[in-house]
Amino acid sequence: METAKQETITQPEGSQLVTFAPHVAGVVILVILPAFLSSYIQSVMTRFLIFALFAMGYNLAFGCAGLISLGHAAYFGAGGYAVAVLKLHYGSNLFWVGAPVGILVATLIAAIFGIIALRVSGIYFLLVTFALGQLLYSVAWNVSWLNTPGMQGIAGLSLPSFGIAGFTLNTTSFYYLVLLVSLICFYLLFRMVNSPFGRALVGIREGEARMRSLGYNTWLYKYIAFVISGAFAGIAGVLFGYYNYLISPTHLGVGTSFLPMCMAIIGGVGTFLGPVIGAAIIIFVELFASIMTPERWPLILGGLFVLAIMFAREGIGVYLWRLWNKVSYHYGSIKG
Amino acid sequence: MEALRVEGLSKNFGGVSAVDNVSFGVEVGERLVIIGPNGAGKTTLFNLINGQLPATSGRIFFLGQDITAIPTHRRAHLGQARAFQIISLLLNLSVVDNALLALHGTKPYRFKLFRPITHYKLISDKVQETLKALDLWGKRDELVKNLSYGEQRRMEIGLSLGLQPKLLLLDEPSAGLTMEECSGIIDMIKNLGLDITVIIVDHDMDLVFGVAERIIVLHYGQIIADGTPEQIQTDPRVKEIYLGIEE
Repeated sequence: METAKQETITQPEGSQLVTFAPHVAGVVILVILPAFLSSYIQSVMTRFLIFALFAMGYNLAFGCAGLISLGHAAYFGAGGYAVAVLKLHYGSNLFWVGAPVGILVATLIAAIFGIIALRVSGIYFLLVTFALGQLLYSVAWNVSWLNTPGMQGIAGLSLPSFGIAGFTLNTTSFYYLVLLVSLICFYLLFRMVNSPFGRALVGIREGEARMRSLGYNTWLYKYIAFVISGAFAGIAGVLFGYYNYLISPTHLGVGTSFLPMCMAIIGGVGTFLGPVIGAAIIIFVELFASIMTPERWPLILGGLFVLAIMFAREGIGVYLWRLWNKVSYHYGSIKG
Repeated sequence: MEALRVEGLSKNFGGVSAVDNVSFGVEVGERLVIIGPNGAGKTTLFNLINGQLPATSGRIFFLGQDITAIPTHRRAHLGQARAFQIISLLLNLSVVDNALLALHGTKPYRFKLFRPITHYKLISDKVQETLKALDLWGKRDELVKNLSYGEQRRMEIGLSLGLQPKLLLLDEPSAGLTMEECSGIIDMIKNLGLDITVIIVDHDMDLVFGVAERIIVLHYGQIIADGTPEQIQTDPRVKEIYLGIEE
């Protein structure tokens, strides 16, 4: 009854602006505000965008296709390691080289791991992706080519260069680079989710047997979704490598794999922007936690996760959006 | 011409043979009804024809082509459509999304990555036409799980008809329906074109004798009778085994 009522109500005149206020606020916060903030906050926002991108790519497999992967850090870390190895062994810091190589490596690994993991489904799929991710983690730990001598991981990375004389990136311009890349990726993902391909993924999540008898090669759909999702994780990983100055085996491990899943669940798995909201919540809570009580951050993250699952099953993003719709409706009707 | 030919088809689950050396053929345009007591192997036979299960032995030919080893989704492309016994609609999606996915399944642009699904004019028109024919266009934005059981059933069958298949497999289309809803489905089947071959599994005698041109009786995975409705009605073995009447 409630929902039927909401649908038949036509929005009063003049409330269009109110409805789109969150979008306007989003643009202001992401595009205009950072130019006036301290470089520390800029760097936190860069981190947020990178993880938002990671989580959104992850959600193509998780939210749309229902593939619960616990090994996406493998593709994220692969992107980061590609950038790091290029710097360590080849001395190259060019974005034009690092980005394509990183994406390619991540996609290739996802393509290989996908063939193995998609032989099983459900909880077994989760376990296989987890095991494959940990495999890469131990490879990174043990192969000396993937480590700066005397430490675990590769340090000494820097912001990318574009090969243009007289133009070097600083924190601000790197933020806008990440913003640009993220927006392009968000747009691509948005088109994908609403395409016949994306809808078919949702159909497969809801009823694979039916989709098969309708003529869909469901295995191929899931595989393509998994590989694309890995490619987006790779893009996020490339940006993360440049951003973090350091890539270590933990960036391939289960701790990192857990983050995009957690972000998607907290923000709202079933929605397009949910993972972004989840990323915002986690990154900024992490920021405050790291200032107040750095050693208790895992406890806070765990608590947040439990609370979200108990009280906001559909995701905090969905609840915020409903709240906003209520507010905008009331405001609009008063004006009207 | 034969639409479907099944030769020596068997399916064993462990030591139990659910379908045991079954052979029959169906002409194009024929309406065949398969009946039999519970556990006779009717649904298993459907699963073999549509490819949900691999056959233990035997061969299946569809329009002259050997499809025994072909996966389900390719059988759909060859022209098979199936309505399941247990409703298999995507319950958490809207009516219109279900229709879109059903009608996109055998189209070449089902893999398209970047164009919105609603931008395919031909399909959108077809969705509208199909849902209007099913009297569900007014409920297109409802989630399927909120429809009544009768509506879901009608939609499940209606969508498989909308695919314009060459062979339609209906697994207990009348299950759980009122008499009125059931006669609506009988009319739907009767109004199908003669280029569509229909195989139905059902228990409802109104439906069976309402649409059948030929009836096959399965019992413990074997065909015990095959003939016109009149022949089946008077067959003493069918009476004994299936109808449970002993004279």
